[in-house]
Amino acid sequence: MLSLFFALRVMKKRIISITVILCVLLCSFSACTKNKEKFSTYTMDYFDTITTITGYEKTQKAFDAVAEGIISELGEYHRLYSIYHRFDGTENLCTINELVDGEHRTVTVDRRIIDMLLYAKEMYYKTDGIMNIAMGSVLSLWHDYRTIGKDSPSEASLPPMEKLQEASLHCDIEKMVIDEENNTVTLTDPAMTLDVGAIAKGYAVECIAKGLEEKGITGYVLNVGGNVRAIGTKGDGTPWTVGIENPDGGEYLSYLGLADQSLVTSGSYQRFYYVDGKPYHHIIHPDTLMPSEGFLSVSVVCKDSGLADALSTALFCLSLEEGMELIKEFSEAEAMWVSDDGTKTYTDGWKNFEN
Amino acid sequence: MNNKKSAKKHSLRNDIILITAVILAAVIGLIYLNFFRSPGDSVTVTVDGEVYGVYPLSRDICEDIYSGSNNENHNRFVIKDGKAFMETATCPDGICVGHKSIFRNGESIVCLPNRVVITVTLGEKTDSPDVII
Ligand SMILES: [Zn+2]
Repeated sequence: MLSLFFALRVMKKRIISITVILCVLLCSFSACTKNKEKFSTYTMDYFDTITTITGYEKTQKAFDAVAEGIISELGEYHRLYSIYHRFDGTENLCTINELVDGEHRTVTVDRRIIDMLLYAKEMYYKTDGIMNIAMGSVLSLWHDYRTIGKDSPSEASLPPMEKLQEASLHCDIEKMVIDEENNTVTLTDPAMTLDVGAIAKGYAVECIAKGLEEKGITGYVLNVGGNVRAIGTKGDGTPWTVGIENPDGGEYLSYLGLADQSLVTSGSYQRFYYVDGKPYHHIIHPDTLMPSEGFLSVSVVCKDSGLADALSTALFCLSLEEGMELIKEFSEAEAMWVSDDGTKTYTDGWKNFEN
Repeated sequence: MNNKKSAKKHSLRNDIILITAVILAAVIGLIYLNFFRSPGDSVTVTVDGEVYGVYPLSRDICEDIYSGSNNENHNRFVIKDGKAFMETATCPDGICVGHKSIFRNGESIVCLPNRVVITVTLGEKTDSPDVII
């Protein structure tokens, strides 16, 4: 009787201990699967490009909530910064550019437009006028000829140089008058227009990323048509890995790890059209008024996505030597130049980001 | 007393066997979940965010993708020798047709005007970047 009681006690102990071990095992496994998972979604609706949102969350629902917020904000910036489309009830870049009775109106705009234009003006000075949003008259000529060339390749031609030169007389950024107190913008030269294509997307991405950071949201990476912005790291604490594609095929041009950093690549292969079999891309040099030559692409890594966007465009228009000088002014930024023959040149700090 | 001791020993061995079996089963299960549930090397085509089709990368094909409200847009994509590319498209910019062929995990070709995306998914776990630009 005593021995049976003893055996039962041993048995009970065994059952308890095995149950405990099983529980611990199960808990640790379920903790494994309950860990944050990687989710991803995309939209093709904004900034004339594809936007991919990737993030780590515990549930699809949690990810969807964040992604929806990002996409709706992206839509707002798209409508504010669009130079091609008007949206009912919204003053935007398009309405700033339009002429009423032969003149630009003084337009009261959303503060997000004022802040972006002020930043663009700051970048104009910091890049010695290379990054100039007041070049709309020149860029719209190229845009129109490129559109015709794309739609009917047999009629593709270059904008005549006389037209370009005439347009270039109306690219004075000082004639963009901003009243910060009243949130108004006036273009005082009727022949001028703004083209914010080299900066608005990056600036918008930075604003959205900062908004997420302020809300304490982390573990996301946004890719808005090549404007990459990491918010925090991946779920396991390691940096997001980013491959810069080689447009000619072959290995990645660079393979980077980014945490809380931005990457923007300006490339001649991103937008172009053919005239007589020769490709003409979309990054126009402010002095020659022609597509900048020499590089396949220029990539910039730094914290601020707006700065990365503007700098990559500016560096694309400068020679390697000039670019090296310019980027010294931005201690937090690193760059990689890929010349037409595939030669790669880096700033010293670029390798710190390479995986 | 001696008998009890051996029974205790015996039960301890059983415990160890049981626990080992449980751990083994769990580990095998995890390995299976992580490595063997992948669908194999494939190309996924999405139109306007919806999956249009999944095609094995191992079989050469030529597939027509129709999109737009009246199926007025057309992309023809090809899988040949384990690589996928866009052969023709009705889009005005032609960026998708100009894109190099894709075969690495996560690589994609986007036709923005026709809202078509084709993406490579490799079954075996390969070191693919989170973002490709
Ligand atoms: Zn296309």
